[in-house]
Amino acid sequence: MSVITADPKSAVARPARPVSRPSPLTAWAALTGRRLALSAHTPREILAPLVTPILFALVIAPALATMIPTSGPGGVDYRTFVIVGTVGLLIPLTCAFAGIGVIVDRTTGARRELLAAPVRRGLIVAGNLTVAVLTSALQISVLMLAGWARGSAFDVSASGVVWFVVAVFVFTVFMYSVAEILANRMPTQEEYVGLVPVVAILPWFLAGSLFRITALPVGLAGIARVLPTTHVLALLRYGILDRNGDGLHDIWGFTNTTVDATLSMLVLVAWATLLVAGSMRIFHRAAVN
Amino acid sequence: MSEYQRTHPDWDVPSVEVIGLTKTYPGGVEAVRGIDFTVGAGEVFGLLGPNGAGKSTTIGMLTTTIAPTGGTARLAGHDVVTDPLAARAVSSVVFQEAVVDRALTGRRNLELHARLWGVAPLVARGLITDLADAFGLADILTRPVGSYSGGQRRRLEIARALVSEPHVLFLDEPTVGLDTRIRYELLDLIGGLRSRTGMTTVLTTHYLDEAERLCDRIAIVHEGRIVALDRPSVLLARLGEEIVELRVDRDPDGALAAMRTRGVADGAAFAVGATLTVPITRHTARETIAAIADLGIEPDTLTTRKPTLDDVYLQLTGSRIAA
Repeated sequence: MSVITADPKSAVARPARPVSRPSPLTAWAALTGRRLALSAHTPREILAPLVTPILFALVIAPALATMIPTSGPGGVDYRTFVIVGTVGLLIPLTCAFAGIGVIVDRTTGARRELLAAPVRRGLIVAGNLTVAVLTSALQISVLMLAGWARGSAFDVSASGVVWFVVAVFVFTVFMYSVAEILANRMPTQEEYVGLVPVVAILPWFLAGSLFRITALPVGLAGIARVLPTTHVLALLRYGILDRNGDGLHDIWGFTNTTVDATLSMLVLVAWATLLVAGSMRIFHRAAVN
Repeated sequence: MSEYQRTHPDWDVPSVEVIGLTKTYPGGVEAVRGIDFTVGAGEVFGLLGPNGAGKSTTIGMLTTTIAPTGGTARLAGHDVVTDPLAARAVSSVVFQEAVVDRALTGRRNLELHARLWGVAPLVARGLITDLADAFGLADILTRPVGSYSGGQRRRLEIARALVSEPHVLFLDEPTVGLDTRIRYELLDLIGGLRSRTGMTTVLTTHYLDEAERLCDRIAIVHEGRIVALDRPSVLLARLGEEIVELRVDRDPDGALAAMRTRGVADGAAFAVGATLTVPITRHTARETIAAIADLGIEPDTLTTRKPTLDDVYLQLTGSRIAA
């Protein structure tokens, strides 16, 4: 058996490269690029998530609209009403699927390598979140374009689009944080997937996606008013469909639409802030024993 | 100051400095119970012990993926608790299990490491080319890592750790789970790292030959404590040039006591169960065997052989590394 007997003194470490660390921006870009590559490294992974919004815009929303041929709630086109409501399903599902990536990273992926990197660990979560936001944005853009092509009537204004975009962003941050928390808490992918319908789909039915929340029994309407999904849908419709803010009035009952919208945005921001902080904390606790 | 540092007074800041490091997991499991060691620049240092000895937990604490319960640890002078980013910047780790993005290509895995460790893109490109050639990865670098064999994936992980040219490289059981041929290929490769970069390497293993072949010094870890720390040759010298191993089913402790009384065995001899291990220090093997026979001890088996690190471990802990 050979024994290395060289004196270590003769090989004193002489790093060829000065010790360096990436800037937070570089690290965030690298981690975002990694997640993008993992999420979209085949055409199937790029195209498959677009099928659902296209199907909703081209088939389901028009089909539902034929069942309710009169003008929809608040005097808007029901087809458009449903298309906007679909956003409240797409974002949670996109984020829930992104959560599976977190579990894969943890169980068979490169999470420990990332944890050993000289970057702030919150950036790992931030990189994943960024991709969830980008994916959601892509899906919603496709949904809206397909809906517009199919004849949906959007009431577009600059301020309305700002409300819409900010609401989508904050809601995606909220939903991704929920997914991150669950992905770090659930021991297996199977258990995580079992929770997806409860977290991503159930609230959608109560949140005024297909009908106004005033149509719900009083108790359920009360629950709906607390759900972030209800607030985001009301804000989205206020942004590009229902400038009267009927959905917002259903939640708050005030007469000033801007106040209602601001309050709903604050609720969303509060939820998102709370959950982001929680997801970071749980990620750290799950990642470092 | 360790013996090694005393004999190498020109060493400056240690690459790794561990003082009183402890780790108790929730539930009260004491994985590491206060260990101390120092690793000098350019040294290859081994943590040797069986599974569950606390080696991987130690590596986890040094790479900041496990929070220490007590004590301090520094990498190139950077405290792993109070300055973890700096500690991580000077180190890389190859984990015991595969830790790669399997859906990405080998090149993408290497590039990601380079970016996260702040290696300039042009420098990274050159390093990746060099490492791919040196590690026999050039032809498979564009393939997804999921299609790699176990040996190829391991080589990729080692190459990845080197892309950032770390001051300290941690190798946590680098050859575990690999077949013999690939394991020996990897040992050659790891052995060549020193001449390639001159960096400090901390290696954990439960393979005795691996530790003996690669390491300048070895810390033998048992139940969360370091029970011996020295050069492999010095550790082996505790048991002399040769040992007699005999199996005595009837009263082995009595047989050992008798051998000691007659001067056949000294304090280094030990009994574990029915097996007596007697270092040959004062007599020849033939004389020792004859003396054992004169004592009326009738062993079931008796062999002479060179001592191994397993014997050292057995002497120190009463159990074998390799179960």
